[in-house]
Amino acid sequence: MPASPIPLSPLCQLPAGSTGRVCELTGDDSFCQRVREMGFGEAALVTKISGSSTSLCLVNGTRIALNHRAAMSILVEQLPASAR
Amino acid sequence: MKLPAHIALPGRRRPAPGPDRTPVYAMVGNPNCGKTTLFNALTGLRQKVGNYPGVTVEKKIGVTYSQHGRPIQVIDLPGAYSLAARSPDEAVLRDVLLGRRADTPQPDRIICVVDAANLERNLYLVHQILDLGRPVIIALNMMDMAAAAGMKVDAAELEGALGVPVIACEAVHGRGLVELKLALSRLELPLARHRWDVPVPIAPAVAEIQASLADNDARTPLIARAEALLLLTDFDTVRVAGSKPLSPRTHELLDQWRQRWVQEGTDWSAVLIRSRYDAINLLCKDVIRRPREAGPSRSDRIDAVLCHSLWGWAFFAVIMGALFYSIFSLAESPMNFIDEHVAAFGAWVKGAMAPGDLRDLLTDGVISGVGGIVIFLPQILILFFFVGLLESTGYMARAAFIMDRPMSKVGLNGRSFIPLLGAYACAIPAIMATRTIENARDRLVTILVAPLMSCSARLPVYLLMIATLLPGDVVPATTKAGIMLAMYALGTGGVFFFAWLFQRTLFPAAPQHMIMELPPYQPPRLGEILRHMIERGWMFLKNAGTIILGISIVLWFLTTYPKHPDPHATPTAQIAQSFAGQAGHLLEPVIKPLGFDWRIGIGLITSFAAREVFVSSMGVIFGVEGADDDTTPLRDALRGAHWPDGAALFTPLVCLTLMVFYVFAMQCMSTVAVVKRETNSWRWPLFQLAYMTGTAWLVCLILYQAGRALGY
Repeated sequence: MPASPIPLSPLCQLPAGSTGRVCELTGDDSFCQRVREMGFGEAALVTKISGSSTSLCLVNGTRIALNHRAAMSILVEQLPASAR
Repeated sequence: MKLPAHIALPGRRRPAPGPDRTPVYAMVGNPNCGKTTLFNALTGLRQKVGNYPGVTVEKKIGVTYSQHGRPIQVIDLPGAYSLAARSPDEAVLRDVLLGRRADTPQPDRIICVVDAANLERNLYLVHQILDLGRPVIIALNMMDMAAAAGMKVDAAELEGALGVPVIACEAVHGRGLVELKLALSRLELPLARHRWDVPVPIAPAVAEIQASLADNDARTPLIARAEALLLLTDFDTVRVAGSKPLSPRTHELLDQWRQRWVQEGTDWSAVLIRSRYDAINLLCKDVIRRPREAGPSRSDRIDAVLCHSLWGWAFFAVIMGALFYSIFSLAESPMNFIDEHVAAFGAWVKGAMAPGDLRDLLTDGVISGVGGIVIFLPQILILFFFVGLLESTGYMARAAFIMDRPMSKVGLNGRSFIPLLGAYACAIPAIMATRTIENARDRLVTILVAPLMSCSARLPVYLLMIATLLPGDVVPATTKAGIMLAMYALGTGGVFFFAWLFQRTLFPAAPQHMIMELPPYQPPRLGEILRHMIERGWMFLKNAGTIILGISIVLWFLTTYPKHPDPHATPTAQIAQSFAGQAGHLLEPVIKPLGFDWRIGIGLITSFAAREVFVSSMGVIFGVEGADDDTTPLRDALRGAHWPDGAALFTPLVCLTLMVFYVFAMQCMSTVAVVKRETNSWRWPLFQLAYMTGTAWLVCLILYQAGRALGY
């Protein structure tokens, strides 16, 4: 039986306090490159601290703030609490 | 030591450092890695601060001393995440390291400052720098922060893995400085064991483009390789390679590879970045020991309050209130002190010199012109104290985070808020404070709109006009306050309207992605804040002062010459006779539709020195002594002023129109000078002068003519 596709959601929709894995970047090349260079690329683990319009996240121990447009461009897969 | 296969010694424009010449070091690092603190700790007050020609990026060169007392030059380069430049700051870093800037010596060696608490990401830039094949020293800074986070970072392990000196430091506490200076003093430094193979999918492209850059574009082998890697992550060749065009062969190769990868669906940029991070993760495996369970850090606990949807706003309002209050209240006494002493000095010079043009030039031109600008120094220092305090504690990034949403409605950045708030006091420090805005477009828009905020120099004009419009004994104070508030609201509305307009017309671009690191909270470093304040204050006096001095002399000349035929003529008659008076007459046809006559025209011309000069000019023109100290006689004189046909000049409608003119018009030569300095061209200050004064004229025309049509 084929595995069901992982449901992805934009980072801005990740609930506060939960952790997700970055799966896809959808912005322009320049944005994708900068995000990857900041260690926020595909497979990075990101914990949402707060915010929906402007998001505050924790990536590799660094707090990063993103505006709504940037958070919309980062698609994450939410991880269950036990997997963190 | 044996070099990796791809590394050859770089060509140098400078002689190699040796016993006779100490090396030039460049200091590089990510933003918020403590680089500036370390630079200040190393160089103390032995710094030269300026600008890189052609861009408004700060250039700092300092001197430290080797263990043998020999001077070592250190260039503090702007903070950057990557050599793939996305901002003018990052482009300066890349160009200095690649030896492209004729105005800066190409560094012989590089000090890479890295944040130990965030090592992997900081090593990304180091990894790119190691490609350049220059001797590198790594300053492993913020070891205390890493320890506070429960991490153990092994400097010796990293040194062993990379083969370059790695010095554990805490720049804030001055720890590790002696060891760092010893490393800087070494005559020979090893090259890094930089074992990194370009990922297979892009390796042939790197080799071909590197060869073409070396053969056809006169690049040295290592620079060619670094540039080839940058070109593959950014196809904008002008952005990567500078203004000198690349050879057709290199262009052709880039186009071929790009087409091929697009067809194959290879994301070459992602492959390259991932490959670097894989190498870094491997490197850090034995360097970092993380705690098994990490609880919320001190910064997390503070952020829970300061970035809270309710308490965050409350705290922000308190901080901004304190800033606003300090700029207005705390600056008052020192401003009065400067004002009194400049006036006393002017009077002393007047008494000590024989009457004549030279004395008038010194007292009325130079001393009063420059004194009128020095008076803003307390406000500048206070604003920069707050900016430094907020930057140093880490709150500035949070303030930008909180304000980003409301400011983005008009296309501005969260970081625009503090400069705009400062502009209520004076546009000059506000424009200087826009340097905290990283995005060049947002910074320029903030500079262009900041002078629309009603600054304190407009207050005397508003007060005089309100007093003339509404005599104190018949109108309640609340009405006057309401008019004053309306002027402030009009200016603020103008800021948002023009920011919105410029973002849509002058700088149209899709809404931007904002991604910003929030540094950990730290106690304020007062020494650094004071240094920042003094630097900014001196920069203002030195650079703006020279232009302002020139304009003051010109304005003095315009109000003094030609001389009235009668040597005993009154100041009123003299100013009417002067070039400024003649210009006022010439200006009258343009300003008459606004209800202004030639005498108001003179006030508009002279108040270009500073808006408040309008009041003293009116005093001279209407023959009222001491108009600055008590406006009542001047108010009565203005109320008695008439047009030649007997109609009253200062009608309520004209007073209101004049206030609105001062809300919008760019009546401030100091601002023009500072904008010229901060944008490095006359284009933007002249545009600003034109759009603001044009708007003032148009709005006043509509207001006055509509008022007249309605019978006022």
